[in-house]
Amino acid sequence: MKGYIGEFEELVLLTVASLAEDAYGVTIKEAIEKRTDRSISMGALHSTITRLEEKGYLKSWLGEPTQERGGRRKRYFEVTQQGKVELHNIKALRDELWKLSKSTLSLAK
Amino acid sequence: MNRLNKPPKLTEKFFSWYCHSSAMEDLHGDLEELFYSDLENMSARRARWCYRQRVVSLLFSYAVKKRRQKASYHHYSFTSYHPAMLKNYFLIATRNLAKHKLFTIINALGLAVGMSIGLLLIALLAFLWRYDTFHVNKDRIYRVISHTNDKRSTRPFATTPAPVAQALRDGFTGVEEVVRINSSLEGEANYKGKDIPLQGYYTEPNFLRVFTFPIVKGNIASVLAKPNSMIMTETAAAKMFGDEDPVGKVIEMQGHDFEITGVLKDHPKNSHMQFEVLASYQTLLQQESASGKTINSWFDPTDSYVYLLLPPQHDIPAIENYINKVSAPIYAQSKDFKAQFELQALHDIAPGPDMRYSIGPEWDYASLGVFIFLVILILLPACFNYANISISRALRRMKEIGLRKTMGGQRSQIFAQFVVEAMVITMIALVMSYYIFYVVRFEFVNMLVDSSAVDLTPDLTTVIYFVGFAIFVGFIAGIVPAIYFAKLTPVQALKTQPVSKGFTAINFRKVLIVSQFALSLGFIMSVVIVFNQYRQTLNHNFGFDQENILDVELQGTDPQIFRNEFAKLPAAQSISMSSGIMGTGGVESIWIKEKNFIDTLEVYQMFVDEKYITNLNLTLLAGNNFSDDAARNKKHIIINEEFLKTLKSTNAADALGQVVVLTGGEEFTVVGVLKNFHYTSLRDPIRSFFFRYDPSRFAYANIKMITTDAFSSISEMEASWKTFAGEKKFMAKFFDDEISDAYSSYFGMIKICGFLGLLAITISCLGLLGMVVFTVENRIKEIGVRKVMGASASSVIVLLSKDFMKLMLIAAIIAIPITYLFFEKVYLNLQYYHADIGVLDIAVSLFIMLSLGVVTILSQTVRAAKANPVDSLRHE
Repeated sequence: MKGYIGEFEELVLLTVASLAEDAYGVTIKEAIEKRTDRSISMGALHSTITRLEEKGYLKSWLGEPTQERGGRRKRYFEVTQQGKVELHNIKALRDELWKLSKSTLSLAK
Repeated sequence: MNRLNKPPKLTEKFFSWYCHSSAMEDLHGDLEELFYSDLENMSARRARWCYRQRVVSLLFSYAVKKRRQKASYHHYSFTSYHPAMLKNYFLIATRNLAKHKLFTIINALGLAVGMSIGLLLIALLAFLWRYDTFHVNKDRIYRVISHTNDKRSTRPFATTPAPVAQALRDGFTGVEEVVRINSSLEGEANYKGKDIPLQGYYTEPNFLRVFTFPIVKGNIASVLAKPNSMIMTETAAAKMFGDEDPVGKVIEMQGHDFEITGVLKDHPKNSHMQFEVLASYQTLLQQESASGKTINSWFDPTDSYVYLLLPPQHDIPAIENYINKVSAPIYAQSKDFKAQFELQALHDIAPGPDMRYSIGPEWDYASLGVFIFLVILILLPACFNYANISISRALRRMKEIGLRKTMGGQRSQIFAQFVVEAMVITMIALVMSYYIFYVVRFEFVNMLVDSSAVDLTPDLTTVIYFVGFAIFVGFIAGIVPAIYFAKLTPVQALKTQPVSKGFTAINFRKVLIVSQFALSLGFIMSVVIVFNQYRQTLNHNFGFDQENILDVELQGTDPQIFRNEFAKLPAAQSISMSSGIMGTGGVESIWIKEKNFIDTLEVYQMFVDEKYITNLNLTLLAGNNFSDDAARNKKHIIINEEFLKTLKSTNAADALGQVVVLTGGEEFTVVGVLKNFHYTSLRDPIRSFFFRYDPSRFAYANIKMITTDAFSSISEMEASWKTFAGEKKFMAKFFDDEISDAYSSYFGMIKICGFLGLLAITISCLGLLGMVVFTVENRIKEIGVRKVMGASASSVIVLLSKDFMKLMLIAAIIAIPITYLFFEKVYLNLQYYHADIGVLDIAVSLFIMLSLGVVTILSQTVRAAKANPVDSLRHE
């Protein structure tokens, strides 16, 4: 499989996508923590983000300085075309597997 | 607002400092935002704690590492290696080397000298690596070795009593083949009046099945089956029989006739067994029953080796246990000799642990270790030289490095560039060092071992190792300058003056120069001291005459006939007989009972006739020489002065008439006392010693010669020898030559130290030359200005030279005490009667080093000082 991404990487990518215009460090962290009910460290999150940037699935830019945060700018993230393709690939793979194993995975007894 | 309601200041500051110039603004903002949202949900203290935790998690994260890395370079900087860049490094390196030819030559020559000894080591290791690998069954061949109760040494014996083989054959099933080998087959082989010395083993027919020594002529199964059959290597057969077919010929060796039944291919040099002939073990067994020799004793491992071929599935401890179990009751009977047995795999034999009575050439780990140490000792300074010269030339490369860095050159890339450059130069050095290696290899190996047993002809694998070694040396040599240049920041590099403070280059370079010269001086001193030792040893007063005495080996001829025949010759003034040669070591020891008959004492003895004492001009303190009456002489001994202490006599006259009893019960009366003399080598102190009289033990005739033409006298003697000794070769040596031969190990030491010293001093002087040339080049304007202002040439020379002279003096201060202590405490104590290290020795060594160093320095400074200032200042 080409361009393999891990579970946490996928989670981060999808979260960035779900946050649309408002994806930056704090919001990403909070969204993941809220949804998964687990606490994640800033170091781990940013390491993953950096790696996703290196792989070309994320891009970032600095926003305008605001009154909050002592005038410091926010770094906003966005999923690139390549990242989108990768997410679709993964989803397609999942769907296929789900379709194949529908009967076995059925929760009804 | 409370202090607690703000993010912790110290942590914040630390984070800013750590991230320095990297773009961390967003992270910082995120941290603060999270803190204030935390404040709403929890206590301030807890929020501050969470803030700190987040900072720590960030500090160790890949994100921050990456951003920091990125921040230090231009944003066009490219992280991965591109072949084009490597090509560029190579191109720049060659251009640089071509531009600065003098430095290139100095560097390459220094590295070549250092590497040449490395190549010797590699060739030797490559040779040893392939030791005994030509045997098809190499993984299944084992040797039985014995740990004996011998008190003199704890080293195991490579030999094993022969009955072990029989025991394994009779009672143990887990062994495929057992081969007995006896190494006592050595001597002159005679065929149709031709005498050729041959050496080999007695062994069993399965020898050729176990080991891979291919046979050219004869039947592998039967060549060694019958008694008195023998096979030869092709070389030995050619020496012995020329073009004739050896098979079926009969030769005489060690008093027995052998029929040649086959011819072997010459074995490779990398065999731990070295032989020219193999004779059947049956011969030995037959001789044993005829002569009463015991070759099959549990208590005598002399010359006897046992090798095993094990089946593919084997259990070594079981075999060892079995042998030890079988031998235990036998050894329980005797107090004198006991042994424990162990199996040694073929590949552990050579190179292997140090053993006694090895069957072939020895390659023990300790001496290889010393060699490796010496190689490092020579090679490292050569690498340092390169580092040294490169760093000192940094000034010229600063702009280039600054530019590379500004254009996005990363630390690792600059590092790679300088390592590549070092590798290019080591490749040039490799060619030169290969030439040196080619010239000196035989000579050098000769110093270490018998070179006939070593094959250093490089093959393809060895050459690949050589290239690998050169790359490795290039890396080692290049690493220091590479780190130095890689560390520079663009600003530092582009400033006109390089920042070098504290540790940096200058002090480091001084340390290098000092250590190189200290090493060189150490080697020079070693040569001078050992040479002096050798000279003094030869001039030592041994207490007897050595000049004009010819020692002739009797080789079993009757001493009386010898004396009668040789007495007729005009050149032989007087002839005496002895059992050994004095002053060369190897004197027989014997145990006597002490006066109270409770304890025993070790004393030394030699058998001589009544002429010996006068012939060698030994001084009698009391009593008489042996008389003409041979029967009475056998009951008499003549002791040395030292023996008086054993006899508890205070003066020589008291000792006369005293009786000395050997442990065997024989009694001897002391008839004379001699002034002390060096009966054995100077390595051992003079101990109690006596002369006995027994013509059957005489092995040498000592002929005092009066002649002006030694050469023709010896020819006459040889002719006379032929009349009664038959085919035996006339073997004679001058006494003083034999004594100097006995100390030839010093000569070997002088050669090795001399060779290493030559390498070390060459490397040091090249390093020094590089430094001086560089300094002079850099200060050429300063010199010009000084000269214009009226400085004399001599004052300029002093100015330029004095710093280097200081370094050499420091080197001397370090090297002299260390070398002195080493020789005083360790080396010279190997010889009991040794020459002390004199001031003169040290002065001579120091003079040699200083004069070489001074010549190096002056060769450059004088030229610079004499230059016309107009030339250097013209362009200002």
